[in-house]
Amino acid sequence: MARIEFKNIEKRFDDVVVIPGMDLVINDGEFVALLGPSGCGKSTSLFMLAGIYLPSGGDLLFDEHRVNEVEARDRNVGIVFQSYALYPHMTVRDNIRFPLRFKKVPDAEAKRRVREAAELVQVAELMNRRPSQLSGGQQQRVALARALVKDPQLLLLDEPLSNLDATLRLTMRTEIKALQERLGVTTILVTHDQLEATTMADRIICMREGEIEQIGSPDDLYLRPETLFVAGFIGSPPINILHGQVDSEKLRVGEAVAPLVGVGNGPFSIGLRPEHLEFGDSGVPARVIQTEPMGREILYVAESPLGLIRVLESGSQVNHRIGEETRIAFDPSNTLLFEEATGRRLDGAHFHLNTTARAA
Amino acid sequence: MAATTMNSMPSTGQSHWDRLAARARMQRRFSDVALYAFLIVVSLPIIVTYFWLLTLSFSAGRGEINTDVLWPSLFILTPALVALWIWGAVAKDRRQAFIGWGLILAGTIILYFSLLGDQLHLEGYRFLVDPDFNRLNESVVAGDKLSYSATAFPSVWVAFRNSLFVAGAQTVIVCTVASLAGYYISRFQFPLRNSMLRAMLVLHAFPTYTLVVPLFIILWYVGLLDSLVGVMLVLVGIELPFAVFIMKGFYDAVPWEVEMSALADGATRMQTYVRVVLPQVTNGLIAVTVFSFIRGWEEYIFMVTFLIKNTNWTMSLYMFFVTEENSLGIDFALVSAVAVFYVIPSLIMYTVAQKYLMQMSVSGVKG
Ligand SMILES: Nc1ncnc2c1ncn2[C@@H]1O[C@H](COP(=O)(O)OP(=O)(O)OP(=O)(O)O)[C@@H](O)[C@H]1O
Ligand SMILES: [Mg+2]
Repeated sequence: MARIEFKNIEKRFDDVVVIPGMDLVINDGEFVALLGPSGCGKSTSLFMLAGIYLPSGGDLLFDEHRVNEVEARDRNVGIVFQSYALYPHMTVRDNIRFPLRFKKVPDAEAKRRVREAAELVQVAELMNRRPSQLSGGQQQRVALARALVKDPQLLLLDEPLSNLDATLRLTMRTEIKALQERLGVTTILVTHDQLEATTMADRIICMREGEIEQIGSPDDLYLRPETLFVAGFIGSPPINILHGQVDSEKLRVGEAVAPLVGVGNGPFSIGLRPEHLEFGDSGVPARVIQTEPMGREILYVAESPLGLIRVLESGSQVNHRIGEETRIAFDPSNTLLFEEATGRRLDGAHFHLNTTARAA
Repeated sequence: MAATTMNSMPSTGQSHWDRLAARARMQRRFSDVALYAFLIVVSLPIIVTYFWLLTLSFSAGRGEINTDVLWPSLFILTPALVALWIWGAVAKDRRQAFIGWGLILAGTIILYFSLLGDQLHLEGYRFLVDPDFNRLNESVVAGDKLSYSATAFPSVWVAFRNSLFVAGAQTVIVCTVASLAGYYISRFQFPLRNSMLRAMLVLHAFPTYTLVVPLFIILWYVGLLDSLVGVMLVLVGIELPFAVFIMKGFYDAVPWEVEMSALADGATRMQTYVRVVLPQVTNGLIAVTVFSFIRGWEEYIFMVTFLIKNTNWTMSLYMFFVTEENSLGIDFALVSAVAVFYVIPSLIMYTVAQKYLMQMSVSGVKG
């Protein structure tokens, strides 16, 4: 097990700067998720940890030791690639055993560890098959067994669930989580699926274009996103972002006005989660243009002078028909305020929305 | 309105679908027949020709050539082949199949020898044991051919060994270099990589025999004229670019994650290459092996230009001079027998590697 530290890590491919400078600490035994849109540098960070890419600058520390130049094979890192990367010419048994061949493990012990790893991920009865004779989920388990068999000090999972169907993804999610808890190995999960990140990880690292936007618990990211990007990236259905204006201690969002103290005048972006909005007699006038029953909730999309607004209502009864003219009210206490220029959220401690009166 | 169209669909609609299905069936059947007819028409002349060569080598006399044995043989062997094939499909288990095949084979052999036995002889194959095989033909050999007169024939085994050396050594070098170079080109970026790839393809497009004169001069300068090593190196140079190209295609199909995974699993670069990458390109390696071996085995122009001493003869030269020497009163059995002997190694190579060569055409060679 290991404590991982990135100290101003930088990665360039020729002139392309992929990671301009990353600082990050991952504690021993922690399960963190690296979340971000495609191409933001998640895999690149992972490959630097595995020793596949050499950082262009900065220090990479494993338990306080600098490992920048340590070869991949000497790092004892287990990695599961997005494509699984099983060795197609070997049986499942040989695949799982492969990492032990370079460790001078006695034959009997190697056999035992292979069997244990296989049993751990429940592929023991597939030992003599080739990877091409396995389903996607089975291949994924074999890849996991191969990563675990060497007792890695760090487990890296690069979008391991993205090729699986929805049900299998759900089961594997719980299985991996349980396994990690049992083994206590420091684990980094790369994903661009926020649900995967929020359900599995202790902490989420949200990345954008090579930079860390926010690190925090799933709740932190959802309820207290530090930037407009995080607010927009986390949450499904996505947050509503409306444009507002503050002048003389009043926040105006279209026709709606709410008193606001502690903030200077200027344009602001207002983040409103769909579940924090409700239809009523007061608020922003809107017309329902789309309804999406989602099981226990119903998502309405309404057209308003402020743009499209998504409203989530619990219950399975469709209460508002398409075309209905109504109004949408929001609760100021659940309002997120972002500076338009920087995209940063204003800390709730610094401003005060009048929560007693509904914005009207 | 929607309801009426819905109701009227099944009656007219169903027969419509049936008609379409029937047409598709007809087309499929027709194209199957056409395909087999085409394959038979295309391959029959080659098969019959080779079969004729074989029968000639066991039956022909001197100075005359005929199809006396060919047609009766075909009449006996074709039904036998069909019978073997049908029995293979009909037999219930392996045991039954083998017994049936044995009976059919035994019957065919007995029939064949009782009908044609007296016309068969092994005289054509005397060259295998007797280097001086031409003694029999001496009466018709003109004495003015200096270096390759009848007595100047080396033992066929010398030619065989020379050919084996040229083709084998060439293959080993081509495979080694192509598998390493192909790997490098597939995995690493370097200046002029693409121009180099393009140049390798273009090089392959040139008729290589245009190089005979310059190569002759070069070999003479470096003292490798009339040496097997010299010819072998020439063949290596000519075969290599395309072999590298083919190997690169196979390496391209190996995902780099698999390699990275091996590195992370504790293998060194070399171990990764040998244990993980190479096993995934064996088909390519086999294809390159077969093609370069056969190229070396069949090469004639470079051999005849660069090799002079008769102890340096390769099988292609041997074949040629046997045909030449017998030009006045051709010993057809001998010529055919040498040809059969010459063809056998290529045949073995193809048969053994056939499975892998087929895979190559299926999995494709990517640029
Ligand atoms: N070898 C390379 N050479 C040049 N650019 C690269 C290389 N590898 C990655 N990049 C660039 O670095 C950026 C980050 O890539 P990376 O693979 O880390 O993205 P990612 O976050 O894993 O995305 P995804 O979710 O799609 O896998 C991308 O813009 C990519 O184009
Ligand atoms: Mg990736």
